[in-house]
Amino acid sequence: MKAIIIKELKLIRKDRRSFIFLLLMPILFIVMFGSIMGGSSDSSAISIHVIDQDQSTASKSFIQQIDNIMDVKESPAASLNDELDKIKRGQFSSVLVIPQGFGAGMQQGKAADVQLHEDPSAKTDLAPIQAILSGISSEYREQKLSKTLLANGDSKAQVEATLASPIRIQHIPTSADHFDAIDQVVPGMTVMFVFFIMITMARRFFDEKKTGLLSRVRSTNVKPLQYLIGMWIPFVLTVIAQCVVLFAFGHFVYGLQLGDLFALGAVILCLSIAGTGIGLGLAFIVPGEGAAMVITQLISTGGALIGGLWVPSYLMPKFIQNIGHFLPQFWAQNSLQNIIAHGAHINDIWGPALILLVFGLIGLIIALVRLPAFLRSAVN
Amino acid sequence: MIETTPKASSTLQFASAPIETILEVSHLRKTYAKKQALQDVTFSLKAGTSFGFLGPNGAGKSTTMKILTGIIKADSGSVKLFGQELTTDADAVSKYIGYVPQEITLYEKLSAYDNLEFFGQTYGVRGKELKQRIQEVLTQTGLLDRAKDEISTFSGGMKRRINIAAALLHRPKLLILDEPTVGIDPQSRNHIFEMIRELNREGVTIIYSTHYMEEVEVLCDEVAIMDQGMIKAMGPLGELLDRYGDNAIYLEVNGLQELPPLEHVTSTRKEGSGWVLETERMNSVMQHLLQLASTHSWDVKQLTVVRPSLEHVFLRVTGTQLRD
Repeated sequence: MKAIIIKELKLIRKDRRSFIFLLLMPILFIVMFGSIMGGSSDSSAISIHVIDQDQSTASKSFIQQIDNIMDVKESPAASLNDELDKIKRGQFSSVLVIPQGFGAGMQQGKAADVQLHEDPSAKTDLAPIQAILSGISSEYREQKLSKTLLANGDSKAQVEATLASPIRIQHIPTSADHFDAIDQVVPGMTVMFVFFIMITMARRFFDEKKTGLLSRVRSTNVKPLQYLIGMWIPFVLTVIAQCVVLFAFGHFVYGLQLGDLFALGAVILCLSIAGTGIGLGLAFIVPGEGAAMVITQLISTGGALIGGLWVPSYLMPKFIQNIGHFLPQFWAQNSLQNIIAHGAHINDIWGPALILLVFGLIGLIIALVRLPAFLRSAVN
Repeated sequence: MIETTPKASSTLQFASAPIETILEVSHLRKTYAKKQALQDVTFSLKAGTSFGFLGPNGAGKSTTMKILTGIIKADSGSVKLFGQELTTDADAVSKYIGYVPQEITLYEKLSAYDNLEFFGQTYGVRGKELKQRIQEVLTQTGLLDRAKDEISTFSGGMKRRINIAAALLHRPKLLILDEPTVGIDPQSRNHIFEMIRELNREGVTIIYSTHYMEEVEVLCDEVAIMDQGMIKAMGPLGELLDRYGDNAIYLEVNGLQELPPLEHVTSTRKEGSGWVLETERMNSVMQHLLQLASTHSWDVKQLTVVRPSLEHVFLRVTGTQLRD
């Protein structure tokens, strides 16, 4: 068995296609998703296009207030039609127009209208912009109220007491020092690309069969079970190495917090057993390499989507979340994020880890059942 | 001495002799999806024999070899190696038998050394002994200087040599080679022949499967002719040639369009620019032909005794030409 393990490791090391699929691609995806989603939790990354047709002190002050919260991209007063065309083309989701008379209206104590032109199909993008503008509008209202109350003879303390909200929201982080996009992207892409090992595994088994190598090995001392386990272990080790490299990349390049390394190691081990166990089962039931490729794509990308590897599971519809619970990707991501973002330890993640092991075990059992037929088919 | 009962049955056996019988195969049958690949194949081999399996593709040679090596199981029949039943003592297969399959079964991305190391380990050879054996077989193949090169950089002939070397690392007593020279250059073929002869001289029993008659003639001292899953004839090469070869004369005369009637000639057939005359009375027919040549002033281009060939034996035994 040791001979098979060493031989397989040598072959995997020389397999450039596997290197691309297992390491290069996930690193590229981490960089790409990291750039797109990086800092999305920071509101300053939200941008708004503004056209100031008033050009008054009040309008400039209003824009300044927005700029303190969002990234303001100001456009010339005459460019409204161009900007609206851009919204229609989906280049951005909204444009805020401050019309002429905004400053004068403010001075006179009248309601000063601003217009937010919106792309109705971009509700997700619009929601934070609308919330921020609404907050700024409330601030103006409070300032106006404050001035009125002071003018009526209330003390500053009385004014503050009057304007204080009856509800106070306290922000209490549950456990993590921080949670940003990279905490989603690194484990997500790692888990997703772990399952691509299934293509490599299927290819290797079919190569062994096609070239007659399996048949030849059967004429030696090697027993069928030794062959199966000997072929499997190198892939488990490969996935562990893949996870270590990707998490190290996240840690050193993006400052990803790794949390409890013992717990992280345990999940990685269980994940590698799950991914390669399913790969093993797949290699023994599909009729050929092409079918293995298609099914792997389905499991890897479909599982990534439903399992919450691309976007957090809680953002998806409830029924999708429920389906996700039947996928190993969900439990892997869930336990990895708990370790990374919520400071979970081994006691907190043994349940999901066990579920991953069960997935691996099911694949292994399928492979064991199908092994005699696979060996028979190798000789003809 | 080998006793055979050709044509009537494929159950042919070597007579008992003082030399140790290494392999006894009895009544093997194998069917693949309603196609009978082997029909009652029986033979035995003495130690040190170089035994050729001759037959076209699909004759059942590879199936027989795969049963001998434990890769597939026969539907019925038995195989005994050194008196031990292989089905109950599977380890004997890997211990005593070296198998060279028809395909080049090597890892293209690994070096020759790594391939040999792997196959040596699968045969249970380890450590210093394995290193020493790798050096030895690489020397035998003439590829010691290419040990660290990837197999993918080797020519077809070199790969074939390493393919054989991989089966020698555990010093097998019986080497089974399934068409080991398919598609290689003459130089590599000669190298492989020399390797096989050397191994046979060292006492290794050889089973060599091929559909090339000349390979059997050059390498084997005993031959089994297989066709349609049966052994049609078996015995020492010379004996088969004597038994099934033609007693014939070849005559070629410039300008002669038709042969006159000849006594004692059982059949006549045109071959090339001359005739093959089959007869049981060679001397008498030869004398008669010389008289005719003298009387009619024939311009005789060729008048020779036809040497019996294995090709003719195959034709006689199977009723067909040896097909690829």
